[in-house]
Amino acid sequence: MIPAQFDYVAPSTLEEALSLLAEHADDAKILAGGHSLIPAMKLRLAQPALLVDIGRVKDLSYIRVDGGSIRIGATTTHHEIEASASLRDACPLLSECAASIGDVQVRNRGTIGGSLAHADPAADWPAAILALRAELVAVSRQGERVIAADDFFVEMLTTALRPDEVLREIRINAPQGRTGQSYKKFPHPASGFAVVGVAATLTLGGDGKCQSAGVAVTGVAAKPYRAAQVESALAGSALDEQTAAAAAAHAAGGVDANGDIYASADYRRHLAQVYTRRAIAAAAGRIK
Amino acid sequence: MKIEGTHELRAPRERVWQALVDPAVLQRCIPGCERLEQTGDNAYAATMRAGVGAIKGVFNGNVKLEEMRAPTHYRIVVDGRGQPGFLKGAGELDLEEREGSTVVRYAGDVQVGGTLASVGQRMIQGAAKLMAAQFFTALEAEAQVEQGDPPPSHGFFRTALRAISGLLRRIFKRH
Repeated sequence: MIPAQFDYVAPSTLEEALSLLAEHADDAKILAGGHSLIPAMKLRLAQPALLVDIGRVKDLSYIRVDGGSIRIGATTTHHEIEASASLRDACPLLSECAASIGDVQVRNRGTIGGSLAHADPAADWPAAILALRAELVAVSRQGERVIAADDFFVEMLTTALRPDEVLREIRINAPQGRTGQSYKKFPHPASGFAVVGVAATLTLGGDGKCQSAGVAVTGVAAKPYRAAQVESALAGSALDEQTAAAAAAHAAGGVDANGDIYASADYRRHLAQVYTRRAIAAAAGRIK
Repeated sequence: MKIEGTHELRAPRERVWQALVDPAVLQRCIPGCERLEQTGDNAYAATMRAGVGAIKGVFNGNVKLEEMRAPTHYRIVVDGRGQPGFLKGAGELDLEEREGSTVVRYAGDVQVGGTLASVGQRMIQGAAKLMAAQFFTALEAEAQVEQGDPPPSHGFFRTALRAISGLLRRIFKRH
């Protein structure tokens, strides 16, 4: 199908984009890479009256790595993140997550900011963002605010972004010292979306035991979540096979799992445990 | 697709029943319901602007309330059609009084068809649960209003805040 009729505008500055959003309120929708929005528009499941294309806005697409401090512009494509050598050195979870998204065409056009703002329950970025305790910078005409990843995902397809806000930057403090990271995903064979996706980042303390862990799951529930019980089970542990398995058992604890014709809720809960165990094992194996 | 759940509303059962069968209240509580017009005995025509996030659509349909046994039970039959697809469903609602609150149990069967079903299948159950939660949160606010007072307002964020505080209440009650 083709989309319903819409108006299109491509501002060159963020201020212009914000004014348009404020002026047209419910009728306007931000367009970044378009790889979540345009398929929905083609099916007429989304029918915004005005598309505000921020793809040409200057200075929204960048990767800045300064020691452990990483800042990624919202319109940076998945491919740019996947291909960045400095990111791979500083925080390999980001490269691995980017590489697993969709296919080459999607990675060339889709953006990290667009993916996060759309908040598909099976998207890959949310798991990495939550595991890394990232911060998201939202800007509106009233100014800027920083939203913690834990507060960003409110419900299915719903984020803490207000209708007049645009996501501008993603900030990550890369784990330092002896760390290991991994993203393990069970992709849907047709769509490539995560039936289950688990991001894990582990840091060892001076005693050789796990000092801190970030484990987040996508695809299982209506929104991505940090598996807090898994994280506390890992803290202070030796990160061997037994601990990983015991911790992973909590992966879907207390979570209302999605069910659909491809995978039932019970199967997703089971997959969450399996993939959490694999992600922890892989991350632990990469610690140098 | 089966949807079922239980919601505890902090209001006496009589008030919850009155709210559940009052079309003016239902119109305010059903997410995105812009119009609920009586077409017959316990039968209504409705227009709903429903959706989650970027996915939105307008549905037109009919709602019928059957097997009404005040204040404990009724059956609701819905059928709607819109650009994104169509849906047909029936559900049973049972109300139980518990220490001044009302426990509402609902169990229903919903068929969704059209584009929404084929493409959005993986999100339908989640969306249904979300809308049920929004509905019962709004209903609780309505049932708590004293007779004669103005009805509460139900913006998306207000409803979300009520739902979150309800969730926190339930979590802390267990401890």
